[in-house]
Amino acid sequence: MQDVAKRPDDVPEPVRPAVVSDDAVRTALAQHLSRISGSRTEIASFGRKSSGFSWITYAFVARSAAEGDRKLILRVGPPNGLFAPYSVLPQVYALQSLAGSGVPVPALVSSEQHGAGIGFPFFICEHVEGDVPAPWAASELDPDHKRTIARQFVEILASLHRIDPGATAFASLQQGSQRAEVCAIAGWRASLARPTARYYPLLDWGGRWLEDNCPQPPCRTIVHGDYRIGNFIEYNGRIAAILDWELTHLGDPHEDLAWAMMPTFNARSRKLYGVLERAEVIDLYQRASGIAVSDKSLAFYEAYALYQAAAIQMCAVRAFEVDRFNDMRLAVMASQMPSIVRAFERALEAAA
Amino acid sequence: MSASFERLVDGIIDALQSHVVPNSNDDFVRGQVFSAIYALNGLKLAADWKAGPLLEQVRLQDDTFAAVKRLADGITHPEIPAMPRLPSDLSDAAAIEALRDDGDRRLGQLLLWASGADARAANRDLATGIEQLLRRSICDQLKIELATTPKSMLQQIAGGERDGGAAQG
Repeated sequence: MQDVAKRPDDVPEPVRPAVVSDDAVRTALAQHLSRISGSRTEIASFGRKSSGFSWITYAFVARSAAEGDRKLILRVGPPNGLFAPYSVLPQVYALQSLAGSGVPVPALVSSEQHGAGIGFPFFICEHVEGDVPAPWAASELDPDHKRTIARQFVEILASLHRIDPGATAFASLQQGSQRAEVCAIAGWRASLARPTARYYPLLDWGGRWLEDNCPQPPCRTIVHGDYRIGNFIEYNGRIAAILDWELTHLGDPHEDLAWAMMPTFNARSRKLYGVLERAEVIDLYQRASGIAVSDKSLAFYEAYALYQAAAIQMCAVRAFEVDRFNDMRLAVMASQMPSIVRAFERALEAAA
Repeated sequence: MSASFERLVDGIIDALQSHVVPNSNDDFVRGQVFSAIYALNGLKLAADWKAGPLLEQVRLQDDTFAAVKRLADGITHPEIPAMPRLPSDLSDAAAIEALRDDGDRRLGQLLLWASGADARAANRDLATGIEQLLRRSICDQLKIELATTPKSMLQQIAGGERDGGAAQG
């Protein structure tokens, strides 16, 4: 079953509760699944899984006479989350468009942009068995095993970038006539310019530089937007699913490559997953994607990655201070700002 | 760290009350947590951010404004505030922080100007020199903040790991 519900324009927005109540979500979830499956569905083993900073993730078992027991995942966009207000569409487009492609994704079960069923934007997908590696730590996994995974990780990225976005629902993400990659930069600039955020002169100046000097992409592709170690599920030496498509957009493929190679996501190593040299990553990616990597564009997107990281930290500060989202991890993220801004300034010098 | 000291303390108290207390069945641990909450409420009433690093940032900004004013003499540029900006009797951290934030906005205007087309057209070399000066100075200001930033615990914070090592003060 797959049900992407859309609200007609003349139906008023539902009144949303201010916070996400697990009990209310569970009750509404049972009603929603019963309705779309046409079979009374009970929810078992329901619990929050998320240690993420944005969408709230629940794991549960949907039990019905018609379909038996199904292990599913529910993701809910909270009203005061990091990137609120949320749209479910990028993730829905990703899971729909990439099903059966060379990019493994969980199968989409149902979604609602306007959250009529649960009160917030949400989607439900199949549970995928496996583990999510931590990007922050130098893990004790066997280096050969990590090399295998890192190579798959690069090959899957190449597969994603080979897809013609015009033939998928992603095409509708293109807004107006502005270049998609410039649009993405402008979006973060607007986020940083919100009056409640602390003003950082180097981010203001650097954001203008990025927008003015954004290179022409070799081709415009689907960009995952948060493609990194930690955003996939690994099972028996294979990457079983790529996760977290909330920042997906159209743009320059260098963006994903630069983001994936940030030392922050590779236990502070310059090597991907701590094992794959940068030159090896680029070589593998070029051969698998057929896209020539430009040193200049990569340097630009390495600077942009730090700019984006700074903007995300500021979203966290805002969520904590203004939207009163009581997650102390968000408050602590603000302490990373001085080091990120300094690194951004150096990266910009290298890219100029 | 978080801009608002009071909001940060409120967040810590809420995290302890909402997540730690309900998940602890040990009376001693609960006693420790409630004592910590009491102490935090006391801090909220009596404490604020240290004024020293903020004062140092404001003084550094003033030095930068003075240097830019000297260099940019005779060229049209964004307004540079009269100095010194710090009244001698100012000790309130929130007021000094507001001054620092205002200084950042003015430095940003100067940086955008120095790297923009008008300043380059007026005197390219001078504009480039001012841009470099401003970037260096703003980075120095960030170094002051870094000195008051504790060592990263990202691994433990993101993963909630038990054995990641104790936080050091």
